[in-house]
Amino acid sequence: MKITVDEVGDASVVRFQGNLDTNTAPEAQDRIDELVERGVARVLVDFKDLDYISSAGLRVLLATAKKLGGQGGSLGLCNLNETVNEVFEISGFSMILNVFASEQEALAGF
Amino acid sequence: MIELGTIRCGTDGSVREARRKIRRAVEALSDEGMLGGRIASATSQLLRVVNQMSGDARLDLGLDVDRDRPEFVLAFIGTDVRLEDDIPPAFFDTVRRVTIDGKSVLQLRLELRSVRDGALAEPRLRALRAMIEKKDRDALMRELTVKNQELQESFDNLRRTTTAKERMESELNIGRDIQMSMLPLEFPPYPHRNEFTVFATLEPAREVGGDFYDFFLVDEDRFCFCVGDVSGKGVPAALFMAVTKTLIKSRATNDFSPASIITHVNDEIADGNDSAMFVTLWLGILDVSSGRLVYTNAGHNPPYLRRASGELVRLDRLHGPVIGALEGLVYGEDEEALARSDHLFLYTDGVTEAMDPQGVLYEEDRLVEVLNSGEFDSVESLVAASTEDVWRFQAEAEQADDVTVLAVRFEGRARGASDVHVLELEARNTFEEIDTVNEAFETFAETHGLHSKVRRSLKLVFDDLLNNVISYAYNDDEEHVIEIHIELSSDRIAVRISDDGHPFNPFGRGTPEKGSDVASREIGGLGIHLVESLMDEVSYTRRTNQNVVVLVKYLSQNTMEKESA
Repeated sequence: MKITVDEVGDASVVRFQGNLDTNTAPEAQDRIDELVERGVARVLVDFKDLDYISSAGLRVLLATAKKLGGQGGSLGLCNLNETVNEVFEISGFSMILNVFASEQEALAGF
Repeated sequence: MIELGTIRCGTDGSVREARRKIRRAVEALSDEGMLGGRIASATSQLLRVVNQMSGDARLDLGLDVDRDRPEFVLAFIGTDVRLEDDIPPAFFDTVRRVTIDGKSVLQLRLELRSVRDGALAEPRLRALRAMIEKKDRDALMRELTVKNQELQESFDNLRRTTTAKERMESELNIGRDIQMSMLPLEFPPYPHRNEFTVFATLEPAREVGGDFYDFFLVDEDRFCFCVGDVSGKGVPAALFMAVTKTLIKSRATNDFSPASIITHVNDEIADGNDSAMFVTLWLGILDVSSGRLVYTNAGHNPPYLRRASGELVRLDRLHGPVIGALEGLVYGEDEEALARSDHLFLYTDGVTEAMDPQGVLYEEDRLVEVLNSGEFDSVESLVAASTEDVWRFQAEAEQADDVTVLAVRFEGRARGASDVHVLELEARNTFEEIDTVNEAFETFAETHGLHSKVRRSLKLVFDDLLNNVISYAYNDDEEHVIEIHIELSSDRIAVRISDDGHPFNPFGRGTPEKGSDVASREIGGLGIHLVESLMDEVSYTRRTNQNVVVLVKYLSQNTMEKESA
């Protein structure tokens, strides 16, 4: 998996390429934790190049949302493919996380 | 080495059985005339020697395809039997003594000089394994003897410790427990088979009732199924049922005629039947490749055949009276041709004799009405429609008798080796291996044009299930192997994951609490919930020392279309 982070305005955009699963979750968690610890308030995760996410990946998202919420920030997600979307529906994550269709929409909206 | 199965033999009876199996195995693999018989004779002589020396022999059968010619391998495990100067006995090519897992293994190898066409294709090997693993008559009888002993013990125990009234209640409960424990309860029982489906339900009444059903594949094509009703209740009825069921199964192993099976079972039961108990029985054998159904009805309610067109046919031929009443009867049989999407519907009199609160009987007309109503596109929907109607009718009246319904649907599909793609993988219990599995699956999925949505769902499923096994299944730090078997056919993808961890059924734990906001949300149990939701069928079985999880995902028209890369 490849992870890149760009600063867009006051938000950090995290882009995952590959899978967010058992073996990639620890690295993903580390990269996002760095941002949270640095005090970044808005984190947007772009899933455009993500193939699939398993429960290990969902765990990372939930932990991040909790940490950001605890310090007054917020987490946004965008560009979910069909499978990721289904997983979000089944798990109820689409109800509790901020999901957007595109990066533009997300940056304007969360 | 391809493993074909294990034969255990401790008595002369099972040597005969082993001989028969080895003969059939060799004949399935090679078309050299007489070879099967010769090898079987040579092996059974050896088995007798082994039995004399160590009392209990275990024989593993396998196929070594890494040679110039495939070799059929017989391995006697844990035996110190010496062959004279280790010269291979007649008809074998080589003999080797090796040590596997600290056990001495005597390996005999037979070169297959003329392999039967298609014999090494996976479906044929599967049939071969099923034949070898099938419990023989003696093993079934031994199992039954042990079960009977256990029952007798708990029964004696009960007699000592309880009052008469309690005893009667408990006896009914024990009878009920035995009855229910003998039914196949896992559905779908054959997720890998697409030629037919079967579904059954048995709702026991509180007091009376001795219903049972059973089904099993006799071989790759013959599917045997039956429904019966034993007279009486409690432990005696349950034992009578156990005996009947066991006799049917052991007879059906090498007798493919329902009439002959029932004639023999009747003789065995009627002989010395002092209790004057009896059983009504309907038994059919369906050739799942052709749809030919042969059946015998021994005093049971006539079942219905619901044609795909909607036409309802009552199979009302009776071939003899109930079983167990009279020795020496000869039962007949009839034939019916099933076509694609035909359903066969079997039931017991608990259905037609269900009563509403005013004491009115349900009767067959109401059943016919249900069977005539609507479209039934699965065995499950047919069974549900019929039983729900009975419950509605019965309302709050007490259920008077067991209610049993069994449905079989013939799909009329050819099972072909050519349109089934198989991927077999082995993963060790480390997280890195999940990636290896998913990479291999990715290649497999791309090669066969599996839709990306299904491919992604399955990769997620592999990640969550394997993570679960690797994290929780083992109590030791040893290396373990997890087996993954994937079958892709035109309309479904079926996955079997087997691990040798401690017994654990991951499924059926319900939906995890979803929480209304991020702060209250927990994550436990989510992986399994995703698996259950993304797959169409999930099931768990414990086999000897393995947890076996089977998953099926049906490919819809959308997801069946090949994707262009």
